[in-house]
Amino acid sequence: MSFVHPWLLLGTLGALLPLAVHLFDRRRPKPRPFAAIAFVLRSHRRTASRLRLKRLLLYTLRTLLLLAVPLALARPQLLRPGATGTRTSGAAATVLVVDRSLGMRFKDKESLFERARDEAREALAALLPEEPVTLIACGPGVEAPAAPGFDRARVRDAIDRLQPSYGGADLNGCLTLGARALEDSPLPGKRLVVISAFTAASLRLESPPPQVKVGDKMVQPEMVLRDVARGQALPNHFLLEVKAEPAPQLGPRMVQVTFTARNVSSNSSEEVPAALELSGRPVAKGFLALAPGGTAQKSLSARAETGGALTGAVVLEPDGLAEDDRRDFVVQVPQELRVLVVDGAPSAVRYRDEAFFYEAALTAPGSPARPTLRDAEAAWREKLTDYDVVALLNVPPPPPDAAARLKSFVEGGGGLLISMGDQVEPDSWNQRLGALLPRPLRLVKSAGATGETALRPARLGEVAWEHPLFLPFADKAREGLLAARFSKYMLVEAGQRSGETADVLAAFDDGAPAFLLARRGKGRVLLFTSTVDRDWSDFAIRTSFLPLVQRSAAYLAGSLDERERAEGHIGQTLVLRPEVPVAEVRSPSGGKVPFHPEADGSIRVGPFSEPGVYRPVDAAGAPTLSPFAVVLDAAQSDLTRVKPEALAAYFGEEAVKGPGGAAETRVPLWTWLLAAAALFFFFEGTLLRTP
Amino acid sequence: MPLLDARTIAKLAGVKVRARVVMEGVLSGLHKSPHQGQSVEFAEHKEYAPGDELRHLDWKAYAKFDRFYVKRFEHETDLRAVLVVDASGSMGYRSGALSKLEVATTLAGALSYLLVRQQDAAGLSVLAGGGWSDIPPRSAAGHLMALLDALERLEPRGPTHLHAAADHLAERLPRRAMVVVFSDLFDDAPDALRRLLQLRARKHDVAIFQVLDPAELEFPFDDPTLFLSMEDDRRLEVNAREIRDSYLEEVGAFLAQTKALCAEADVDYQLVRTDEPLDAVLLSFLSKRQGRRR
Repeated sequence: MSFVHPWLLLGTLGALLPLAVHLFDRRRPKPRPFAAIAFVLRSHRRTASRLRLKRLLLYTLRTLLLLAVPLALARPQLLRPGATGTRTSGAAATVLVVDRSLGMRFKDKESLFERARDEAREALAALLPEEPVTLIACGPGVEAPAAPGFDRARVRDAIDRLQPSYGGADLNGCLTLGARALEDSPLPGKRLVVISAFTAASLRLESPPPQVKVGDKMVQPEMVLRDVARGQALPNHFLLEVKAEPAPQLGPRMVQVTFTARNVSSNSSEEVPAALELSGRPVAKGFLALAPGGTAQKSLSARAETGGALTGAVVLEPDGLAEDDRRDFVVQVPQELRVLVVDGAPSAVRYRDEAFFYEAALTAPGSPARPTLRDAEAAWREKLTDYDVVALLNVPPPPPDAAARLKSFVEGGGGLLISMGDQVEPDSWNQRLGALLPRPLRLVKSAGATGETALRPARLGEVAWEHPLFLPFADKAREGLLAARFSKYMLVEAGQRSGETADVLAAFDDGAPAFLLARRGKGRVLLFTSTVDRDWSDFAIRTSFLPLVQRSAAYLAGSLDERERAEGHIGQTLVLRPEVPVAEVRSPSGGKVPFHPEADGSIRVGPFSEPGVYRPVDAAGAPTLSPFAVVLDAAQSDLTRVKPEALAAYFGEEAVKGPGGAAETRVPLWTWLLAAAALFFFFEGTLLRTP
Repeated sequence: MPLLDARTIAKLAGVKVRARVVMEGVLSGLHKSPHQGQSVEFAEHKEYAPGDELRHLDWKAYAKFDRFYVKRFEHETDLRAVLVVDASGSMGYRSGALSKLEVATTLAGALSYLLVRQQDAAGLSVLAGGGWSDIPPRSAAGHLMALLDALERLEPRGPTHLHAAADHLAERLPRRAMVVVFSDLFDDAPDALRRLLQLRARKHDVAIFQVLDPAELEFPFDDPTLFLSMEDDRRLEVNAREIRDSYLEEVGAFLAQTKALCAEADVDYQLVRTDEPLDAVLLSFLSKRQGRRR
């Protein structure tokens, strides 16, 4: 028990007054000869026992009354399990800091966050009427609180409206905000009430503890720690990482998901059930053995029903924190691509055929492409709408009607690949297909054949590695691309036609474009300024050729979106590069996620507040981009608790006994004492009037 | 009619003066009474014999029995009155101007005046110190002074023994007499009053003046008080306020019982507060008795 005004306890000495009066105020009774003493004696005999009892009761009531009043004035508060902290005498401005990080969603019969709300209400009720208070909801995107005030209803409403987040909580930052808010109060007493589970993820002990500026001095405020975990450990296993990718080696539309789980409890979990969901349906199951504090990795595979962007999730058996036992993902399942390969320079010798290497690359195992090979004349009789991509390999300029159909095909959403060769005559091409070409063709440049010493063959110089076309070429894989040597290549006109854009995805070391990309209507056109056989370069026999051909076909068909690898995190933003305007981004719960356009045409989406699959849509509600997944920060799933001694060292030995220690909360008793004093007074008066 | 209050009487020194003043006050009251001059009292019936006065014929008896009876009267001069004064220690209590004993002696003295003035025989029996002192009834004028002197000398002392007084009077009064008792009747013996009232069964005309102090009737004490007995060594320290209600109940019950016993025994009972006008007390008493005679 503690007292707000302990010096008023001196008043309890007044409770000795009845005893003192009884002992020392022995006034001599006045002797009075009385004739009717027989009646006096008889009356006394009749009433003696009753009077003795009445006197005893009066004495007791008066003592209690004189004890209760000064006790009540001293404002006693009962300390009961629930919180620890230092105490300041007198009123103190108070900031309630409620942790609403992911870990507070931990549930053991009752969720930690529900308990935190109850604790916050209790802490609010325990405040003295003269103590101002404000609230900090400590989670992602925490804002500076209002100055402590006396509008308890507003704070109570704010507590009622609190919701746990899926992100982390920076308790240090929140305590600093709270300390700043305390400086706005003129009261000398400063108090920070922290309601949290005190996990290692939420509190950085290397940061300095909060301090409040009072006058010219920095002082440590009174710290009250309310441990909602009641000193108990919070065992948790969670998904650390999920990697989903197509697995063509396992079969068409096969998806392989590799996930890593971690156990942060001291208990081992021999067989933790894990399930793989695709498009909302469980498709595979397995078990994980998780040692205490250990991690385990497992792969599950399944066949997707359709190609394209597919949503899925890995789900572990739920534990106290079920939210981190599920992790969503989006995987691009290769779709079957119908590619019309127009061979501009067929040859009886296969390897001399213009389309030999290109067709071989498209038909390699695991490739989603289904090529159809035609010569130039036969190709123009094909119905282009039956194909996703048309590849014009060293093709002479198409006749006008074919050129018009090609233009219509591309603008309707088809993909067009154009590679150069001896059959390509720049002026005719510019005339016939100038509208489709990313840039007009100019002339063929010879850089020197392989083996020649006078001219050095060209190599790729600048490459847009971040473009989806080149994303697989990371680190050493780039060698295969950069090592390709080009003896000839088509130069293109510098500059662009007005209103049309073309991106140079790769350029030779002399700066001449090697790969140009343009969007024409709904379709895409990729111009490769060299050949896909060995006539002008050895690129066709380089290791980079096969993946680049496959990816370019997929990209031109629109099945290889640049956001296929996009993955967001809670509390963070994500940059997307939409090619058509995005009207809104829908969250997993159906809400709208804010986004802002950037100068480079991309949009910055977020910050994200819930995990799951987000879907960018256009004004009509149709998908404009592949959906993307937002996942939890695995660090927030580590619910290892800060040790009491570490907390004591952080907040001071005298300030905190530790969140796992004998936590106490304050319950005001003075109102009860005043009520009791009033009752004593009433009974005393009644007893006095009783004969 | 301005009556003599106790405070005025208290200013008068001695029983003789007080008694006389009270007696004169009584006589003054009697002059205004329509029944003044009644000096004879019916004694018995006698069968008519020639020579008896016809005016004394009792026509009601004749109507009842069909025989002639004449009423015979006894003059007051034939009255023998014994005034019994309780001079025990408790009678010495006073909270006002007069003690109970002073009131008792004043009343007894005034009554003596009246009796002797009517040439009735008046005697005195005093209970004091556990013993008795008696002055036999006489009607001589000089006897009055002896009575008054005896009353004058009374001092309160000793216990109250009403039952002993009853026995003593029964022995001392072989003939029919009027017995007037002045006492507070504070006797611890349970049947003391009954014994006294038994005198009525012996054809004595008994009247009781119970003299009580207002403080004994109202118990106006508040502070812690050490009550001391006036007749023995009993004492009690008590907060008077706490027992007042109980005391008043006890006293009320005692008075009610006394009154009931007296009524039952056909004894005149008069409660006398020491603060009330004594001539009024006597007037009331006499009026009551005259009313009974009619």
